[in-house]
Amino acid sequence: MSALLTRLNALPRDTRDTLFLLVVVAWVVMPQVNNLPWWCTGLTAGVLLWRARLAWTSSPLPGRWWLLGTLAVTIVATLITHKTVLGRDAGVTLIVVLVALKTMELRARRDAFVIFFLSFFTMLTNFFFSQSLLTAAAMLVALLGLLTALVNAHMPVGKPPLWHAAKIAGGMALLGAPVMAVMFVLFPRVGPLWGIPGDAMSGRSGLSASMRVGNIASLALDDTIAMRIKFESTVPRQNQLYFRGPVFSRFDGREWRPLRLQGPNLRNQLPSNLRVAGEPVKYEITLEPTNRPWLFVMDAAARAPDAANYTVAMTSELQWLTDRPVTDILRYKAESYTDFTFGSPRSALQEYIELPAGFNPRTAELAAKMRDDNYGKDAIGMATAALQRLRDGGYLYTLEPGTYGENTADEFWFDRKEGFCEHIASAFVILMRNMGIPARVVTGYQGGERNGVDGFWVVRQSDAHAWAEIWQQGRGWVRVDPTAAVSPGRIGSLQRLQLPQGVIASAIGSVSPDLAASLRAGWEALNNGWNQWVLNYTQSRQLNLLKDIGFESPSWEDLSYVLIGLIVFVSLCGAAWTLWERSRHDPWLRLLWHARRELHKAGLDVPATTPPRQMANAATERFGAAAAALRDWLLRLEALRYAPPGRQAGSLASLQRDFKQLAWPKAGPQRTVPRT
Amino acid sequence: MSTNTAPPASFIWLSPFSFIRKRFQSWWQSRLPLTDTTTLTQRNVYILPTRPGFMLATTLLVLLVASINYQLNLGYLLTFLLAGSAVVGMHVCHGTLRGITMHLTPPEPQFVGVNAPLQVTIMSDRKSTRYGIGMSVLEAAHWSWTDVPAQGSATLQVAFRPVRRGLHALPALTAETRFPLGTFRVWTVWRPAAQVLVYPAPESFAPPLPPGEPRSGGAAAIQSQTTGEFDGVRAYRRGDPMKLVVWKKVAKAIASGSDELVSRDTQQAQRYELWLDFAQCGHVDTEHRLSRLCAWVVQADRQAVDYGLRMPGLEIRPGRGEAHKKRCLEALALC
Repeated sequence: MSALLTRLNALPRDTRDTLFLLVVVAWVVMPQVNNLPWWCTGLTAGVLLWRARLAWTSSPLPGRWWLLGTLAVTIVATLITHKTVLGRDAGVTLIVVLVALKTMELRARRDAFVIFFLSFFTMLTNFFFSQSLLTAAAMLVALLGLLTALVNAHMPVGKPPLWHAAKIAGGMALLGAPVMAVMFVLFPRVGPLWGIPGDAMSGRSGLSASMRVGNIASLALDDTIAMRIKFESTVPRQNQLYFRGPVFSRFDGREWRPLRLQGPNLRNQLPSNLRVAGEPVKYEITLEPTNRPWLFVMDAAARAPDAANYTVAMTSELQWLTDRPVTDILRYKAESYTDFTFGSPRSALQEYIELPAGFNPRTAELAAKMRDDNYGKDAIGMATAALQRLRDGGYLYTLEPGTYGENTADEFWFDRKEGFCEHIASAFVILMRNMGIPARVVTGYQGGERNGVDGFWVVRQSDAHAWAEIWQQGRGWVRVDPTAAVSPGRIGSLQRLQLPQGVIASAIGSVSPDLAASLRAGWEALNNGWNQWVLNYTQSRQLNLLKDIGFESPSWEDLSYVLIGLIVFVSLCGAAWTLWERSRHDPWLRLLWHARRELHKAGLDVPATTPPRQMANAATERFGAAAAALRDWLLRLEALRYAPPGRQAGSLASLQRDFKQLAWPKAGPQRTVPRT
Repeated sequence: MSTNTAPPASFIWLSPFSFIRKRFQSWWQSRLPLTDTTTLTQRNVYILPTRPGFMLATTLLVLLVASINYQLNLGYLLTFLLAGSAVVGMHVCHGTLRGITMHLTPPEPQFVGVNAPLQVTIMSDRKSTRYGIGMSVLEAAHWSWTDVPAQGSATLQVAFRPVRRGLHALPALTAETRFPLGTFRVWTVWRPAAQVLVYPAPESFAPPLPPGEPRSGGAAAIQSQTTGEFDGVRAYRRGDPMKLVVWKKVAKAIASGSDELVSRDTQQAQRYELWLDFAQCGHVDTEHRLSRLCAWVVQADRQAVDYGLRMPGLEIRPGRGEAHKKRCLEALALC
């Protein structure tokens, strides 16, 4: 180890600088690895390692044709992988390879600059995939590394240690931070300048716009946060925390889809006939970006959630939609009533009992049998019977039900008898429809967990859930959660299926579960703070800030004015400082200058370069004994600067004090005697 | 004395911008004070963005547009932190030159066509090192770089190749830095007051020294009488017997890098003395004559013989030594 360090220290400057730059470039690319095609990761790593080897052995760089060849291969591979070279993901792939290849062409100063600037851009592409606190910290390190390399490249003499450059880079970033803060707060936030490619926001996990059996089970493994909720009034019971998402009513045998395509057109929604009662629950949701036009609210919100910059509307299925996809963290307030009824007119119900022909014959038989058994009961009665079968029939709630075949409901009811919420809900709804009861699948999130550090409720992707709604004549749509029948623990308490944990997490968890929980809570509170204050800093919060500092009805133009005003103010301060610095003479010289000005008033002009003694002589010659005190003072002034140490008469302060009390000779008649 | 030659009249019409630029530069340079020591302040330090500076600006713009289009708040943070660092970098860059004191050590006389090293001392009273300060003769391609330690000084040598003999004003010097980010170029232009004396270029393959002239009477005759036993020396001529070669002097000459042989000039030294005469050095052209005389002076000095110099309107009595050589070369430079 120490031998390696010695070897590193003894490297020639070129080699050391190149290796450092390669490390920084690798660090910038590293967080992307998960999002890059495998060949891109491999190629980049290979090129960087090869370049490091070339630097280490001081070998010549490969020729231009080699680079062009690799670039061509990369473009072809990108086309194959992404079907395009434009768009976000293809662009990220290309830029990562470009940075790596450019290190192979590190010949002139210009090449180094190209690497720096490409790397800055690569850093930004990291944020497409994650804007978490960890990403921010990693990229801060990357920025400091790049600045260090840049500063180091401009130290042409000798081989200064890298930490010198790092110190200067750190200082610059530190001094640049206030600029960053002001610009961040005041730079007007506007919407996208032009349309962005369709894949721009993909890759963010969450509920999807259709439900194929198995979708939600994959989410159950995803521990990332879907939304955070701050309740302003009392928190409802856990088993009332149903956050409604897409509602699926059309089944084609494999996949559940919504009844209508959800276009951006928010008008022409059918009335939902929602009637609410009791006191509403008030809360504020911070929704992570979904790239979907869905606002998750607790069942049932009668009034539109208050989401800044979005137009929202409710579908007849009680889902709240926005006019465009939620591409950024969004915060909105909502009011929900746990006591509600709703239902569309009878004529619209035919759609909710349709089933594709030829699927799930055994379930149809089961339905017929159950209908006969429960003859005369209403929809809720029938549903209760079905739930009873779930409860007693030995059905299991599991994350890994295996692969379902063609007739998912049949397999669930008769063969496997185990499944995740989506299997259960889907099979339940198919059974209900077979019994002639209008039913549909509702997806969303169920439950949540309170973070003890900041009091926010956290809903994770693993809380994604699917349940059913059935039509009860005279009452409307009624929520039925068949999963609760299979696994009562899933609903109403915090029990979740345990996920395999990492080594460290399980170690901490086994030693001290409380510590693990509080560490996790602290970390999530920190993340939430980051989301609330940094990532969710939107135009509305900017405008609120302006309101706080006294603008009546702030607009983004006002933001520009404040920003420009601030820049002008800082520039003026800079100019004033420059002027002050320019005029800041030596206090001794200033004192001498004052003395010369007083002499000028008294009628004696001496050149600007006159030293004190000469000035004293001139004054004595002109004014005689009247200038004795002045002469004494001037000689002391001279002694202050020129006498050997220890023999000065008084300090500068005492001279300044005496100067004010000095008796200046009056301006006498001008000497008319010509100088000889 | 200006080293710029007047442009031909057509130059204006061929490239008016370049002409205006040249005129502006010479007007602007003529306004600079002549001084051997200069302290750089806000007034005489200039700053402009470099090509990489514009590249960085473009990068920042692209980053900003990407942040806006993809609604990346973290992208804004990155963009603004980079921009803030660049602004701070601009101040650091300007501060690297601002406040330094540059002092030029008066240069030694030089021959035409030889690089004259100008020695510049840069002093800094700041508490931190100033990195990457370069110096060069204005509009020359070669730069020398140095770091100036905290509250210390560093010495740089800048090469200047004079093209004509005589007393020259030194060319304007320029100091530059691009530290720390290379996005800005901060520079200053400085006209030193010192002058450099430039001797004619010694002729490359000059003929051997001319034969001595018979000593005229007067002082020289008296001297020869007082030092009766004195043996002179002269350059080796083909055919000189080996025993006439002064081996001690030859050894010294070889040690000092020349391989000229020196012969003993027994009888002649007392009767002849070496005169390097402008009128009798073979060429027609004045500059060529001066060049040859210069070569002879150097040759005679290296052989350590007495020599005198005769120029139109000037005669330097024979002698030897550094001071004598200087006097002769000065006469050649300034005639």
